[in-house]
Amino acid sequence: MTPSSLEALIEALRCLPGVGPKSAQRMAYHLLQRDRKGAQRLGDALLHALQSIRHCQRCNTFTESDICERCASPKRDQKQLCVVETPVDMNMMEQTHAYQGLYYVLMGRISPLDGIGPRELGLDRLLARALDGVVEEVILATNYTNEGEATGHYITAMLKPHGINVTRIARGVPVGGELEYVDSGTLAQALRERRLCSP
Amino acid sequence: MQRQKVDAQPAYVLHTYPFRETSLIVEAFSRDFGRIALLARGARRPRSAVRGLLMAFQPLELSWAGKGEVLTLMKAEWQGGQPLLVGQALFCGYYLNELLIHLLPREDPHERLFERYSQMLGSLGNDPAGKVSEPELRRFEKALLQELGYGLTLNVDSAGTPVEVDAFYAYEIEQGPVRQEQGGQAVRGQTLLDLAAENFSDPRTRVEAKQLMRSLMAYYLGGAELATRKIFKELQEL
Repeated sequence: MTPSSLEALIEALRCLPGVGPKSAQRMAYHLLQRDRKGAQRLGDALLHALQSIRHCQRCNTFTESDICERCASPKRDQKQLCVVETPVDMNMMEQTHAYQGLYYVLMGRISPLDGIGPRELGLDRLLARALDGVVEEVILATNYTNEGEATGHYITAMLKPHGINVTRIARGVPVGGELEYVDSGTLAQALRERRLCSP
Repeated sequence: MQRQKVDAQPAYVLHTYPFRETSLIVEAFSRDFGRIALLARGARRPRSAVRGLLMAFQPLELSWAGKGEVLTLMKAEWQGGQPLLVGQALFCGYYLNELLIHLLPREDPHERLFERYSQMLGSLGNDPAGKVSEPELRRFEKALLQELGYGLTLNVDSAGTPVEVDAFYAYEIEQGPVRQEQGGQAVRGQTLLDLAAENFSDPRTRVEAKQLMRSLMAYYLGGAELATRKIFKELQEL
């Protein structure tokens, strides 16, 4: 018979993505049998992170202080606010080295059929953030999915009446993309959203 | 149920749910098989061939195999011709999908409704600003009820007399229009006749037809509040 604390550990490990009963059992035995130090570290790190990580009051991303380093940095352009769905999306935007403004991380998206609306997403906090008197432009960098579009539409309707410029990142053929290998959906949309060339 | 293999079936994705680590459960509306549930294995892997393809409101051709309640998606192909929905039209699209998910029984073919749905999406996608044509929406709702066997009686009242333009009626489920003295939830005879003829040129008809459809949908949904309506209301409260 499995001792109850071992049982509880196996059950707890199953909350991880991609971990079923078998893998959970393997992980638990590994930690207890071969790597008790590792288990201690894992436990401590988990507890520590849980206690110290919270949401930045300005951009809503994960941070250890009230306001994250990026939001507090004087080098960033305070007039631009880029809205992304997840912290991973924010990292992607940072990797472009093309953006110097600030961010707002939604931690989700509007998905009507899943019952996730503006209230569930806490869009009122974004409204308060965008109306700090300094932000002039809000850049929508939500995903190009129906849900991302719905989220973008909602934010636009929310911010426009307050005189904030709302822009959307462009979509189309990727850089270095050869038409031969671009999927038809992307190409069709790129064609629909073609723009006038200026000499 | 017979084990079956279906090839290149015209279909639309209604909704998807994440399943396990990398898969998706796809609720789809197919032309010849009605509403079906498909398991798309590995569809959420970064390099999956169907990632980004299994999107609502886009015409697809789906191939699947299997038996039972959840079938296995084998292939999905993009058909094109449908612009992505934006603005209000996008929320309207979600509303249609929610109606279909709630009202269509599984694996019950509705070929005509499929065509109507396809046309409706076409008209929603046509407006670059994402405006929604209310008459189109009413026509679709009416066709949906008709297809599900809940067709409306609009020309004759519950007593069997023809509906009169100036009279007032309460629409009772299963009975049709019941003649009323003015007041309360009553609709004009004119509205019923206009709805029967699908003529929405009168602004009062548009308002009353919308309210009538809303109460009918609420009845057939069995009291379930539509998430899309709730969210749409929040959007309009801005």
